Amino acid sequence: MKNLGAFPIVSFVSFVSFVSIQAQQPQPPEPQFDPAAVERGQQLLASQCGFCHGSTGRGAASGPDLTRSELVQNDDNGTQLGAFLAVGRPDRGMPPFDLSRAQVSDLATFLHRAIYFASNRRLYKILDILVGDKQAGEAYFNGAGRCGTCHSPAGNLRGVGAKYDPVTLQGRLLLPRGRPPNPGGPPPPPLYTEPTAMKVSVTTPSGETASGALVRLTDFEVTLYEASSGRMRSWLRNGDVPKVVVTDPLQAHVDQLTKWTDADMHNMTAYLASLK
Amino acid sequence: MLDPALLMKPPVDAWPTYHGDYSGRRYSTLKQINAGNVKNLTLAWVYRLNTSRSGAMLGGEGPETPPAVGPPSIKSTPLLLNGMLYFSAPDHVWAVDARTGREIWHFAWKTRGGDHIGNRGVGIYGNWLYFLTPDNYFVSLDLATGKERWHHEIANMKREYFSTNAPIIIGRHVIIGVGGDALDIPGYLESRDPENGDLVWRWNTTPRPGEPEAATWPNEYAMSNGGGMPWLPGTYDPELNLYYLGTGNPNPVLTGRSREGDNLYTCSIVALNPDTGKMAWYFQATPHDTHDWDAAQTPVLIDGVYDGRPRKLLAQANRNGHFILLDRTNGQHLVTTRMIDSLNWTKAINAKGQPVRNPEKDANVPGTLVSPDTSGATNWPPPSFSPDTGLFYVATRQSFSVMYLTDTDERPQGWAAAERNVGNVGSALKAIDYRTGKVRWSHPLATGPAGSVGGAMGLLSTAGGLLFGNDGGGNFVAYEPATGRPLWHAGLGANTSNGPQTYLLDGRQYIVVGAGDTLFAFALQQ
Repeated sequence: MKNLGAFPIVSFVSFVSFVSIQAQQPQPPEPQFDPAAVERGQQLLASQCGFCHGSTGRGAASGPDLTRSELVQNDDNGTQLGAFLAVGRPDRGMPPFDLSRAQVSDLATFLHRAIYFASNRRLYKILDILVGDKQAGEAYFNGAGRCGTCHSPAGNLRGVGAKYDPVTLQGRLLLPRGRPPNPGGPPPPPLYTEPTAMKVSVTTPSGETASGALVRLTDFEVTLYEASSGRMRSWLRNGDVPKVVVTDPLQAHVDQLTKWTDADMHNMTAYLASLK
Repeated sequence: MLDPALLMKPPVDAWPTYHGDYSGRRYSTLKQINAGNVKNLTLAWVYRLNTSRSGAMLGGEGPETPPAVGPPSIKSTPLLLNGMLYFSAPDHVWAVDARTGREIWHFAWKTRGGDHIGNRGVGIYGNWLYFLTPDNYFVSLDLATGKERWHHEIANMKREYFSTNAPIIIGRHVIIGVGGDALDIPGYLESRDPENGDLVWRWNTTPRPGEPEAATWPNEYAMSNGGGMPWLPGTYDPELNLYYLGTGNPNPVLTGRSREGDNLYTCSIVALNPDTGKMAWYFQATPHDTHDWDAAQTPVLIDGVYDGRPRKLLAQANRNGHFILLDRTNGQHLVTTRMIDSLNWTKAINAKGQPVRNPEKDANVPGTLVSPDTSGATNWPPPSFSPDTGLFYVATRQSFSVMYLTDTDERPQGWAAAERNVGNVGSALKAIDYRTGKVRWSHPLATGPAGSVGGAMGLLSTAGGLLFGNDGGGNFVAYEPATGRPLWHAGLGANTSNGPQTYLLDGRQYIVVGAGDTLFAFALQQ
């Protein structure tokens, strides 16, 4: 339900939003979970609680999910959890547990870490996505995908499988706009300086034509970046004056978005990943 | 003092509730500003959000130091009463003179935390104002001074609840809902007493054991953690005494594993008796949602003609990419149409008018390419319906994402999948014929170096033959409602971020809209 601009969905491409709707909210610092305590807590959970609550604490036939438990979610460093475990819930068949304060703390650390990583989707780790058939991908490349019109494995795709991780590669297969994300690196140059930016030509009533990368186009204005002169140029628009023609150097990729089957996408990803 | 009779009339010199009136049409009968003179519309005043705690009325139980959040964006629609505007952003409420934009008072809430994504606005009853906070307090202020009367905690922040809703007042009920879906938690709507804030009734967004609809969940465990947050204000028909509400997405969000079935009453339009909180009917817009397509978008009440006879109708432009028309007396389905071409997650529309999802488009480990993305074809910003044109106005995006299942446990948690945005192949402002669901006109929004930009936006239509919205490119625009042709615009430096509203004071009509951290008022050049 979190909505537009709410959550920094990680993009394949660095979208240059030319209108900043809202400054990105700073993220709170990530809590630190002592790895040794997490490990001890996990073992303790598996041996002491797992029979009823499952080895990960996510519940089983006879015991509820501990990571969804309001009691656990409300707990501060094992304080409430320890008080609860000392008594148990005998009416529902849960005996008291005689755990040391350190053991309760380890258990709480494991559970709070599990809750933290379940609730922070920006930290989710994408699994192994290379499940496609690279031969089928190659066939698609040369056949229905008509990728050879612009690309070749020995040419502009040489070594592409070594250049990008599989998720980035899959994203750039779909739409290689701008530069791939480079977390922690310098900010990317403006997208309009990249060859994959939208293009525009503007023809004034006097017949002068200017063309370049599209910076912004609304019903009321058009702005372009002229790479040859390094100049930004803009015009007010009044209906069809000046004449504006927009083209997309990635139009083939955009058209393909509505045609992909997931199988073709996975096969192509496997094929491109093999181009080391 | 708000006279409750005001709530039953079209808004003119008052805008006493989130949508102006209970209908959710966001249509004004004012026509001083009209298609003939809109070219003379000019700035009357601006108010830039003052978030400083110094000089503010203070409340809240959090630390003295404000949280490290960016400048707030105005998503609330200001209420107008007796010449004063009342509006909010997370942790803040302001009263501003509607003629001049001067701040009258500012209330700042010392927050304990919570997601500060947005706040939809305030509610007013008598001399009192109500709002919700990111750390889940229901707060009442004195309308004249901004001084706090009381506050109640309505949900637990540690469970990742946060509250954004604008309270809706019906009779002696202040209706509020909770939000949050980072963890698998239950959703509920409440009526609170305007005097003291005590709970009057609570409606749970998933069934209780024993109800027939409980069969749409595999077990109580899934049902009682199944989400369905009622996080936006609804609409109300006083004759039928029914409150209409769109519910949120089920949890876990991007996978249906562990919650097989339709998962009622998530992603549904429901009709509730506001006196009791009892449900009269429901229509589920997305059975077994696996893409975060809540049905929280405004259920717009239209008194129109369908099949040749007058009908009480309800229309919604749903985040899942479909336009839906119902009979609001009983929930009977009348129309479902696709609003965008790129939509690829359905197989068909079934006999009940529900989109049938294609399970192959559920998040999987190697990724599935889905359109629209989780932000949807449209989203929370309020649409508009003009009885003059018979057209329903809404802005849409045609975005694509790859959705990757990341939690392969048989009991997945939270979102359970990651999303990587690919791009948007076309945003547009659309006018939909409510009787057929067909798009009458579609006006493309702005374009940037990465292609189409903009999308869901707050809209306002008026009897002056105008439709106010943005263009995705930072301009506030008056469109011609019959054609989508722009008639007037003002560059605000940012896209409008709330629903525009309008009022008449001392014979002068104002149009008020928020864009980021600034509220703008426009009026005709005098």
